[in-house]
Amino acid sequence: MDFMHRALSAIFPVIAAFILAAALFALTGYDLYEVTAGVIEGAITGYGSFWSTLRWAMPLLLIALGVMFALRAAEFNIGGQGQMMIGGLGCVAVALLVPGPAWLVMPLAVLTGMLFGTLWSLLPGILKIRYGADEVILTLMLNFIAVLFVSWVTTGPLKDPAVRGESASTPKVDEALRLSGGDGMSWALLIMLVVAALVAWLIAERTKTGLQMRFVGEAEKAARWQGINVDRLKLISYALAGLFAGLAGAFEVLGPNGRLVTGATPTIGFTAIVVTIVGLSRVPGIVFAALLFGGLQAAVLFLPIVSDLPSSGLKILEGIIAILVTAELIRRRRAG
Amino acid sequence: MAIALECKDVDVRFGAVHALKNVSLKLETGKIHALLGQNGAGKSTIARVMSGVLTPQNGTLKIMSKPVVTGSAAQAQAAGLDIVHQRFALPPTFQVGEALEFASARKMGGVVFSKAKTDSAWAARLKEAGIDIDPKAKLADLPVETIQSIEIVRALANDADVLILDEPTALLSPSAIQDLFNNLRDLRDRGVTLIVVLHKLKEVMEIADTVSILRQGALVMEPTPTSELTAEDISKTMIGEVVAAAPLAHAAPTLASKDVVCAFSAVHSPTKGGEIGLRDVSFELHAGEVLGVAGIEGNGQRALAEVFAGLTQPTQGDLSLNGASLEKCSIAERRTLGLRAVPFDRMTEGAGLTVSLWENTMTWIADRFRRFGPIVSTAKMQTDAATLLDSYGVVYNTPTQDGQSLSGGNLQRAILARELTGTVKAVLAAQPTRGLDFNSTNFVWQELNRVRSDGAGVILISSDLDELFGICDRIMVMRGGAVAGVLEPEFSAVQIGAAMVGAT
Repeated sequence: MDFMHRALSAIFPVIAAFILAAALFALTGYDLYEVTAGVIEGAITGYGSFWSTLRWAMPLLLIALGVMFALRAAEFNIGGQGQMMIGGLGCVAVALLVPGPAWLVMPLAVLTGMLFGTLWSLLPGILKIRYGADEVILTLMLNFIAVLFVSWVTTGPLKDPAVRGESASTPKVDEALRLSGGDGMSWALLIMLVVAALVAWLIAERTKTGLQMRFVGEAEKAARWQGINVDRLKLISYALAGLFAGLAGAFEVLGPNGRLVTGATPTIGFTAIVVTIVGLSRVPGIVFAALLFGGLQAAVLFLPIVSDLPSSGLKILEGIIAILVTAELIRRRRAG
Repeated sequence: MAIALECKDVDVRFGAVHALKNVSLKLETGKIHALLGQNGAGKSTIARVMSGVLTPQNGTLKIMSKPVVTGSAAQAQAAGLDIVHQRFALPPTFQVGEALEFASARKMGGVVFSKAKTDSAWAARLKEAGIDIDPKAKLADLPVETIQSIEIVRALANDADVLILDEPTALLSPSAIQDLFNNLRDLRDRGVTLIVVLHKLKEVMEIADTVSILRQGALVMEPTPTSELTAEDISKTMIGEVVAAAPLAHAAPTLASKDVVCAFSAVHSPTKGGEIGLRDVSFELHAGEVLGVAGIEGNGQRALAEVFAGLTQPTQGDLSLNGASLEKCSIAERRTLGLRAVPFDRMTEGAGLTVSLWENTMTWIADRFRRFGPIVSTAKMQTDAATLLDSYGVVYNTPTQDGQSLSGGNLQRAILARELTGTVKAVLAAQPTRGLDFNSTNFVWQELNRVRSDGAGVILISSDLDELFGICDRIMVMRGGAVAGVLEPEFSAVQIGAAMVGAT
């Protein structure tokens, strides 16, 4: 009953958003049937569409799992974007610079990506917890620093000499290190995503750390009186947020992109926050929400082919979902 | 006699809970009316319906003989009714003047206004009410009784004819309660009708002209003049059955042993968040005794509790448990050693309201439920929590329900269940019966008594002298963060009062 209630209260705003967006598109003169068919084809039924949905759901899911830990500890870590890019940087550096057999370099590259993401997230975590700096501003600003740092690396030390023009990137990593082809998804990646989601669920719901982290987020004072180490758990929440975002960055590099590209997926870290909120900060919900938003992203890329609705139209839909879900969240908080 | 407020057939349900059952009530003008009842009887609910904060499923409301739409605070205000909530409504981070201008229905300035002007206008208002305070003072820095007086000024600024106060005495020290009562009598004499939600008999007999009693959501006593009632009549009606007299009855204090379980030696602690720190506090807590801590609120009781529990480190001095220094012990280590605490505020410090009951009672010992490596069995945590809650008589449906679904008394039972189970050597209970009804209060006393008989030392911080006299073996009085005296029985209120205010 309670679960049903929670699930409904999460799904209802999403449905309402679809209806509102449909009304908006209809009122502005677009062919609703054409748009809907386009979205469904682009996200699910078209050739390679579902694969494409999974490809976009991947970074959303991983970053959102990280954001989940932060939100559970009541830390508003919005640095997923930067943590992902720095994770990608660590990964690509190992993939390009460390010689050795693929079976050794590949996991090393992924682990380095996770480590870089973790460190990038721990930096604001330490500043917040030790000195009381504002984590929203810190993590937001560190996103810009990460973007600029990556763009320096891709135009400087790790520049691909073959690339000209604006979209700077590193050279491609060795094919043997790739986790997927150009279509972005593979069974290997999919299995690792499932494992990542399971591990996140276990940590969050079935370990002392996960349980205490949520307790700290919900009732910090009570946690302190019961001897729960609030600072330590908050710091762990930062580490986990960065770890999962770093993993997303590593998978982007070894998977779909095959290299580190400046300016690739510039907003995915923020969409991931919406995914976490739509998913009610619970792993099953986040998986569902990541698929939803991954599907929308796949549709965004496909839609211009079959409909004259600009792809930014679907960004409006994403925006409405975010607003309604947040409103519902606040309503439930108020209702107690 | 004119009727100030009339409710008819008011019915409120919260999900499965039938909070008010067809309550009809008529209250006359110019009197102090007490609404009495145990925790969960529906007192606060009816107060919220009257003030338009809560929309009832059914029922009508008339204020000063004018019908008003239920569930509209603005209409209720327009009809001349205002309310001072138990949890204050003024934003604590605001300055006094700002907060009043912001929250009051009567604005001193327009849309664009001069802060200097509104500040001085509000300062004048406050002065009229006998509160001499700088309108630029921050609310959060003020003592609770001052904030309450300011809340009353806020409510009356709109020339309210009817003022509701929801449990106004809950947070006040005994002397502040007297000031509040004097203030209420003045207001009555000026023609304001007062509706006061209370749950202490003594206070009702002292202040109220009429009493109405609620029990389990139903009105069981129509407004009746206090002069026609005895305390026994009221308590019988309120509880619904005759309770064993003298809940304070307690075996003669016995210092079972002179074994010291916990000792403070020359402890100093920093002043934190406007709460005074400890100044050279030394005392010994013996096994098998209840050591009361009396004092006007804000005289170091919080610092004492936080130093004891390990939330605050002493700047000088040391405390020990069974002779071993606790200097390097974390809060968690102290708890494992048997040092437990029932914190002041059960809703923020004692338990998490948005956290389930099993998490509230078991998370801190989650390590004991490990199965494979770091993976814990939450199923076992839930069944253990259920067993624990059952053994303390907590009324609940499932251990997965949130803390906020419990009434105050039940929540406190759950907290006691957590704190008084396992190794218990020394317990500090801070205001453990504040705001609780008869039965729950009794339960808390029994439990403290039980751990004391089991050989633990108990420190009881309380501002209720009856409670302290009833169950303490010794009473330590705190003043200005220091120990002002330690008294042995027979206790005398005069002696304690003198020590509290420093008249000795």
